[in-house]
Amino acid sequence: MNRLGTVVGFTFKNKVRTKSFLITTLLLALVMTIGIHVPFLIQLFTGGDDAASTNKIGIADGGQTEIAQQIENYVSALPNNELEFVPLNGQDAAALNEQAKTQKLGGYLEITPGESGTFPAVKYISDDGVVPNDIQAALQPALENAKTRFITAGALSDAQIAQLTTPVQLQFSSYDRAAGVDTSSSGSGNNEEKFSPMNFITVYVLMTLFFFSAMLTGNMIASEVTSEKSSRVMEILITSVSPLTQMFGKVMGVFLVGLLQIVVFGVTIAVNLMLPHNRNVLAGFDLDFSQLPVDVLVYGLIFYILGYFLYALLYAAVGSIVSRTEDLGQAVTPLTMLSLAAFYIGIFSLNSTNSLLMKISSFVPFTSPTTMIARIGLGEIAFWEIVVSLVLLLAAIFFFGWLSAKIYRTGVLMYGKRPSFKELRKAMKAYKI
Amino acid sequence: MAVDRISLGVQEGEIYGLLGANGAGKTTTMRMVLGLIYPDDGSITYGGKAYGADVQRLVGYLPEERGLYPKVKVSEQIIYLAKLRGMNGAEADKNLRYWMKKFEAEEYYDKRIEELSKGNQQKMGFIAAVVHRPEILILDEAFSGLDPVNVELLKLAVKELRDQGASILFSTHRMEHVEELCRNITILDRSKTVLQGDIREIKNRFPREQILLKTSSPVEGLDQIQGVTSVEGTPDQYLLKISDEAAAPLVLTEAIRQSDVRHFEVKEPTLNQIFIRSVGERHE
Repeated sequence: MNRLGTVVGFTFKNKVRTKSFLITTLLLALVMTIGIHVPFLIQLFTGGDDAASTNKIGIADGGQTEIAQQIENYVSALPNNELEFVPLNGQDAAALNEQAKTQKLGGYLEITPGESGTFPAVKYISDDGVVPNDIQAALQPALENAKTRFITAGALSDAQIAQLTTPVQLQFSSYDRAAGVDTSSSGSGNNEEKFSPMNFITVYVLMTLFFFSAMLTGNMIASEVTSEKSSRVMEILITSVSPLTQMFGKVMGVFLVGLLQIVVFGVTIAVNLMLPHNRNVLAGFDLDFSQLPVDVLVYGLIFYILGYFLYALLYAAVGSIVSRTEDLGQAVTPLTMLSLAAFYIGIFSLNSTNSLLMKISSFVPFTSPTTMIARIGLGEIAFWEIVVSLVLLLAAIFFFGWLSAKIYRTGVLMYGKRPSFKELRKAMKAYKI
Repeated sequence: MAVDRISLGVQEGEIYGLLGANGAGKTTTMRMVLGLIYPDDGSITYGGKAYGADVQRLVGYLPEERGLYPKVKVSEQIIYLAKLRGMNGAEADKNLRYWMKKFEAEEYYDKRIEELSKGNQQKMGFIAAVVHRPEILILDEAFSGLDPVNVELLKLAVKELRDQGASILFSTHRMEHVEELCRNITILDRSKTVLQGDIREIKNRFPREQILLKTSSPVEGLDQIQGVTSVEGTPDQYLLKISDEAAAPLVLTEAIRQSDVRHFEVKEPTLNQIFIRSVGERHE
């Protein structure tokens, strides 16, 4: 146990002090800081006096004063309305354009009367010929409202018109939920909470985190092992400590390095979000951190650690087969594919967490660290399913840990030509771990 | 098959020489002793015990290639390796400083291995092999790549460890080191033992074939003596090759008759000659 600690400490200390680690960590922290500031910066740039004039829209009613009035009324009654209408009077397009330009308007609405009592055509004309999203969002319902009024010609009340223009919402639920049965293990089987954006974000972040740390730290471990092998330190190490101790020590050491990196990033993100100017912007996104699903996080952590060990052990084994760092890329490809599969199955199925693919892959040890989290966070899952998946994952760790130690013990002594499977099997039988 | 039917024993306080041409099986033999690979058949014991974790702590190993982390500080990795073999950090540091001082290499304590010259890396590798005071020391080509001054330093160190009671298995293809350090040797060739035993006995087993003769004035007709195959040299110093040791007294008598003899030596074969003969013959 003492020696395991020695290996862990040595691996950790040497990895953390490398220039590449320091630079990537700082660089990524910087990128995150900038990323978090993007909404604030955008607001900063668009918040100038430039914006004041784009919020002014001309309206050329073409004789349809009533419709123009209805649009203005509807828009001004919207909550948080920033649009302002300026009436324009021009005979032709050239005159209208000229007026819009001199008054520094964002654009203008041209209403052309329809043929024989149909609703008039409405056109938004601007410098670049594009309707900004916020203006379209305000104008679309205003026009629909005006059209309804135009067609019904006063036969309906305002309330009825409001109901007509509200889109129908199709609601959905499972049998269990409809019957009020709570199948989720979390105990918080509340529909609203299940589909909260916070859950979605948590699952997404956990999956991404798993994918990246499995890949990055896995490669770190593999190249570490290969370089020990090519510098022949391995020959000394393997005669000092058992390969199992060595391998686990390395995996744990690099795990701690990865954890440190995650903590650094976590703190970076937290500090940035705490800054007052960012807090205001984020409040606009309607994110409430008190809604953070603790159960998903806890399960996420368990699956994250176990999944990490499964991948890391295999990466160590692969690293031990290769003699030179140049050959490593090719050798780790199968593992990279595996982690890619785990990641993409999870990401693409975020909206269909109860599909058969998700159900199957949440029990497969290599994919369960991502897909199980998606099912726990966003889907319907029974507690026994989580337990079975965990047990399978643990069993896989023990099996592949044992296999990896065997490969490791054998691989580190094989130089030159790549060993055939027969040779590997024979050698693996011979060595005790 | 890398090695075939090898049997050797190293006593406490002994340096055992393992000789052989390139690819003869020296390193394979050493790896088996280290427990890195297992013999298909046969056994290796350490003070009567089989290989195990407690044996690992007693063994020190200097591989032919440096065997150290290129990017890690010398002190850090040597202490690390000592700790892995069960020594505590403070003691390892003390030993490390002792050896560094001995090798006049104290300034490398805080350097990374890749910053050192090849010879100095070799010295650090040697320190790494002995820092935990091993009872069994395995040195694979310990002196290759070193300048004569450093070779002497390392030789002294090896002798010191021998005198402290370590059992040392020493491989090389430089015969002069072996003659100086080892009592017993095994010469391997193509996986098989060619010669084995005490160096003195081995030498006696081979006929003495050279005579070195120094006289005050030229001696004539040495090549006419029965058993002398060739004569080389300057007028007062001769190197004679003989096919039979019986020719030696005849040469001496003849020399005394003609001149004053200052030096007469029936030279024993050097290990180099023995090696070339025993290995070379097999190749013909």
